[in-house]
Order: sequence, then structure tokens, then C-alpha cells
Amino acid sequence: MTMLDTSDRSYARLYRQIMAVLLCFGLVPLVSMGIAGFLANRDAIETRMRNVLEAMVKNRKVTVELFLEETMRQVELAAFSLPVDRLSQPETLESLLEQMRREGGAVIDLGLIADDGRHLAYVGPYALQGLNYRDQQWFEQVMVRGRYESDIFLGLRRFPHMVMAAKKREGGRDWILRATIDTDILSALVREGGLESGADVFILNRAAEYQTRYSDAHRLMEKADIDPISLHSGVRIAEVVRNGKREFLATAWLHGEAWVLVARQRMPGLTSLLPGHPAVVWLLVVGLVTIPVLSHFIARTRLKQFQTLEAERAAFHESMAQAQKMAAIGRLAAGVAHEINNPLAIIQAQAGVLADIVEDNPDLTHAAEFKDRVSKIVRQVERGRSVIHHLLGFSRRVGAEREPVDIIAALEETLGFVEKEIDASRIRVVRDFNRSVPIVRSHLAQMQQVFLNLINNALDAIEEGGEIRLSVQLADSSVVVRVEDTGPGIPEKDLPKIFDPFFSTKSSDGRHTGLGLAICQEIMRALGGRIGVESTPGRGTIFRLWFPLEPETA
Amino acid sequence: MADLRLLLVDDEVEFLEPMAARLTRRNVSCVTAGSGEEALKLLVAGHFDCAVVDVKMPGIDGLELLRRMRWNHPDVPVVLLTGHASIELGVQGMELGAFDYLMKPVDLDELLDTVRRAVQQPTMRPGRDNA
Repeated sequence: MTMLDTSDRSYARLYRQIMAVLLCFGLVPLVSMGIAGFLANRDAIETRMRNVLEAMVKNRKVTVELFLEETMRQVELAAFSLPVDRLSQPETLESLLEQMRREGGAVIDLGLIADDGRHLAYVGPYALQGLNYRDQQWFEQVMVRGRYESDIFLGLRRFPHMVMAAKKREGGRDWILRATIDTDILSALVREGGLESGADVFILNRAAEYQTRYSDAHRLMEKADIDPISLHSGVRIAEVVRNGKREFLATAWLHGEAWVLVARQRMPGLTSLLPGHPAVVWLLVVGLVTIPVLSHFIARTRLKQFQTLEAERAAFHESMAQAQKMAAIGRLAAGVAHEINNPLAIIQAQAGVLADIVEDNPDLTHAAEFKDRVSKIVRQVERGRSVIHHLLGFSRRVGAEREPVDIIAALEETLGFVEKEIDASRIRVVRDFNRSVPIVRSHLAQMQQVFLNLINNALDAIEEGGEIRLSVQLADSSVVVRVEDTGPGIPEKDLPKIFDPFFSTKSSDGRHTGLGLAICQEIMRALGGRIGVESTPGRGTIFRLWFPLEPETA
Repeated sequence: MADLRLLLVDDEVEFLEPMAARLTRRNVSCVTAGSGEEALKLLVAGHFDCAVVDVKMPGIDGLELLRRMRWNHPDVPVVLLTGHASIELGVQGMELGAFDYLMKPVDLDELLDTVRRAVQQPTMRPGRDNA
């Protein structure tokens, strides 16, 4: 049975509601478990990261400080261990530089500078001899402080470098021994031992300029994209957001607080935060897949049960309504039958007298016409009688007595009743009988009444030379009788009404009461079967009758 | 000379009159009664081969008349005639001893045929033994 649109919509809503509840019950614990696992896992990972980061920064701080201290010590040792006249000789500087390199230092060049800024002696790869450093910032610093470690700067050689300088007093004048430090060695030192993925380590000066390189992505002395780091002692770890990504920033100021060692560690991505154990992941995946699928099946099953119940209820209501309608018609028919049949009887009797008179007086003027018109009156009386008779048929119950009926034989016998009409209209009857259909317990006369009504309808519907196809087949627990005609078909709008009493598409020429199909339906119902129709306008109409093999005791 | 004497009982004169005329024309001698009471008087006064009785009448109705006739005039067969056709009424009428049960409007030939059969089967008097 077809559902109304509104029913479909309400069923769709019901489906959504059931699904929502089931998904809620199924997925909420699962998702909660997942989220809890995720958070716990993230905390564990982050704690571990912090620890690793802190240890690394501490370690590098010590390493870098040791390196700088050692290098400075080398320079100072060189400055104080030799007199100025020796230091001003390039050979001496050369051997000093050689010795420093052998000791594993990072010194690139050495130079002796007088207190007026003149470069007295120089060994190294740059042509710096004779230049004056009087205006250089580092010169000033070393003159004031006695020892000095510079930031990375361009200086007179126009190349980023770092210098360490030591001042000594000799002969009433100040002398400065200056060494250039290999920045690559410093960079390598900072990055020594390898880094975790997503981590960077580098040194910044107070202006947040890179003092070491950690990749090709930046240059020395470039400003780092980091907020100024305030002075603090020990290792500080902060959580920052850079380019929309969370990261840990671990910082430690180096000795002298001119440089700060910075380690940056990107927070792990979502995928690496998934619960570590594969079983947990599989459990989640299996749950996420099976719960919606199961929910869908449960919801669909429940919905089908609802729909079946609803359909049964609708069918029950429909059959109740139909039964009540039929009972009302039956009562009405019984009530009016007498009132109508009596006048009909009078009309018939009076007309009969007229017919007698004409018969007795054949010379009467218009005798033939009289006779003709009287016969028409009698025929109309017969028509009225037929309507009442059919109506009364409604109030009659089909007898409870059932007998074994051979459906094919019953159908053949019924065809015999209308043999003459079939021959006269040159209509072909096509039989498609499954001879093995079993005998059913039914009511022969009532069954034949249905066959006769349907065959008569078919005969009325088809043109001369048309075809009536009859088929008897077994389907499920019923014998299905099909009566198909090649007539004009029934308009779709009329189909739902054709079983209504008094509904007729045929012209009221006196032969049709509009009760034939209504009676068929009533009989089929009483026999425990049913009747169905399908029709294609222009192609024909098919009536189907279902006779139950095991009729319920009605 | 009429070959049959028939008592026709119906409360509708409009029906009685033409029926009587038609039956008379077919050599059936007809006496009409407009009610059950009148029919009972006529039955006492004269002999009838058969009575055709309408079921629904005011006063003594068809079934009551049938009941009394089975008692007082068991030799007169009764054919019931009614516009109110139902199996129950028919069964009731037959149980009371009616010969047959016809529905209005009835075909004249069918009526005559039934009446003749009723008359020709004098042994068919089921009501007499019951009454």
C-alpha cells in the first residue's frame, strides 16, 4: 500500500530521531573515551617534550659557555704570555694562531692593535693590516673593560663575524690582542648532537638577532621573529603561538647575559597525538564504523515494524469502514426494497394489463407502438428490480458452508454462460491455466458470480475482435485468477472509485447498476480473498483475484 | 369456465385490480381481498384452489394469515408474494407452510407457473401436520 507524502516525511523524521538517540548512546562514550585518551596522551607527550627541551637547553648552555670561556682564555693567555714587541711580529702571531688551532680553538685570525686604533700586526685570511679600529664599537668596549666578546657584527671586513679581545698594559701604553671566532663552529656547537624533529636551537643577542645559524632559512644578524626575551635565570619554558601553530620556547641566558640560548620545539600534530596503542586506535575506528551501521539497521528495523503496524492499522480501519458502509447499504436496501418493489409491481401489473388490451384488440390504432412502449416500461421495471435485488445481495452473508472448488472448472463453466456473447462479438479468449493449482475450499456460486461480473465487464469493455486473457496461477498461499481485457482501460482518477457501490463509467443504458464490482469486492472479502485492479488507458484492464488456499473461517 | 379459483390478497388495490384482470384473461378465476381479515372471511364463504398473499399488510399480515390458513384451511396452498425479499422471511414463510415465496415485481407467467405447481401437488401440505 502506498504511503502518503506526509507519512513519508514523518517516517523520515522518526528515522532521524531514532538514529540520533542510538548514535548518542553509542558514540558519546566512545568519543569521550577517545577525547580522554587524546588529552592524556597529549599531556604525556608535552611533559616529555618539556623535559627533553629543558635538558637540552641546559646542556647546550654549559657547552657554549665552556667554549666561549675557553676561547677567551686562549686569547688572554696569548696576550699576556708574550711581550708586545714579539706580538707585533707576524711570525709570532702566526705561530700563536697555529697553536690555538691545534688546541681545537675556533680562532680564525689574530691581530695586535695599538691604543690609538692602529692595526699593528695581523695574521688571517683578510687584508686588515694597517686599518684603524678607533671608531669601532668593540674597540671602545675593550679599552674600557679590558676584555670583550662581541656580538656578531659586520665590522670593517663587511662580513658577519665575532671577535674576542684582551687588553694588556705594557710600556705605559695599552695594547689589544684581538681574535676572530669562527661563527660556523659556534653554530655547530649549538646544534651539536642532533635535534628532534620540529625543533630549532640558536643563540640571539639582546636585540633578538641571530648569533648562530640553524638553517638556510635565515642569515646571521637577522632579526628573529620572537618577542624580546626578558632576563631570567636558569631555563624558562614558555608556550607560544607562531604562524598559527603552538610551540614550546625554552630560553636560557648565557654567562654575561649578552646572549640568550633559544630552543624552539613545535607541538606535535594531531595524528601524532592519537592514542599510542594500535589496539586503542582500532577499537575507536571499529566503534566509529560499526555504531552508525548498527544504529542504521536498528532504526530501519524499528521503522519497518512501525510501518507494518501502521499499514495493518490503516488496512483494518479501511476494511472496517468498508464493512460498515456495506452493512449500512444492506440495511437501507432491505428497508427501501419493499417501498420500491411495491410500486414497481403495480407499474408492471398495469403495464401488463395494457399489453393484454393491445393483444386483445389487434386492430387498435398504433397497436404496434403501444406494444413497443409497454415492453419498454416492463424492461425498466425489470431494471429497477435488478438494482434492488443486487442491493439486497449486500445484506446477505455468504454462507459459512464452504465446499471444495476447482477454480479452473468453475471459470470454464462461467465462460459457458457467456459463450453466445463471446461468439457473437468474435472475441478471442486466451487461457493460461496452471492445471496443478489445488482445489480450494470456497463457495462456488459466489466465486462464479465474481467471474461472471468480471467477464461481463471485460466483454462490455472490448471492441469486436478484442481479446480476453484468463490466467489461473499459484502464488504464495493463494490461487490468483487474472482477467485481462484489451479494452480502453480505466482512467487513473477513476481507479480508486471503481469498487464503490453505484460507481459506473458506463452509460446508463439500463443494464448497469454500478454494483457489479462492489459485489465482487464484497464476495472476495467474505471468501477471505481480495480483488485488485490495474489499468493502462488505451491498453486494457487487469483484474486479479486472490483466493486463499487455507481460508480463514469467516 | 375458469380452470382455477385464486384468492389474491394485497393491501394495494392498484396492484390487485390489474393482476386480477390479467389472471382472469388467462382463465384464472380471481377473487381479491384488500386485507388479511377480508381474506379470512372470503375463505370461509367459498372454495379456492390457491391463495397468493402479500406478506406486508396492515392488520393481519401475510405471515399471520398463512399461519391461520394452515390451521383453518390446510387444503388451500399459499404462495407468498412480497417486495421485502430476504432469506429470513422466505425461510420463515416456508417453515409456516407456504408453497413458495416470490418477490415483487413478479413475472405473470412465473406466478401462474408457481400457482399451477402448488395446485397440482396436493400432497405438499407441510403446514398441516405441523399446525
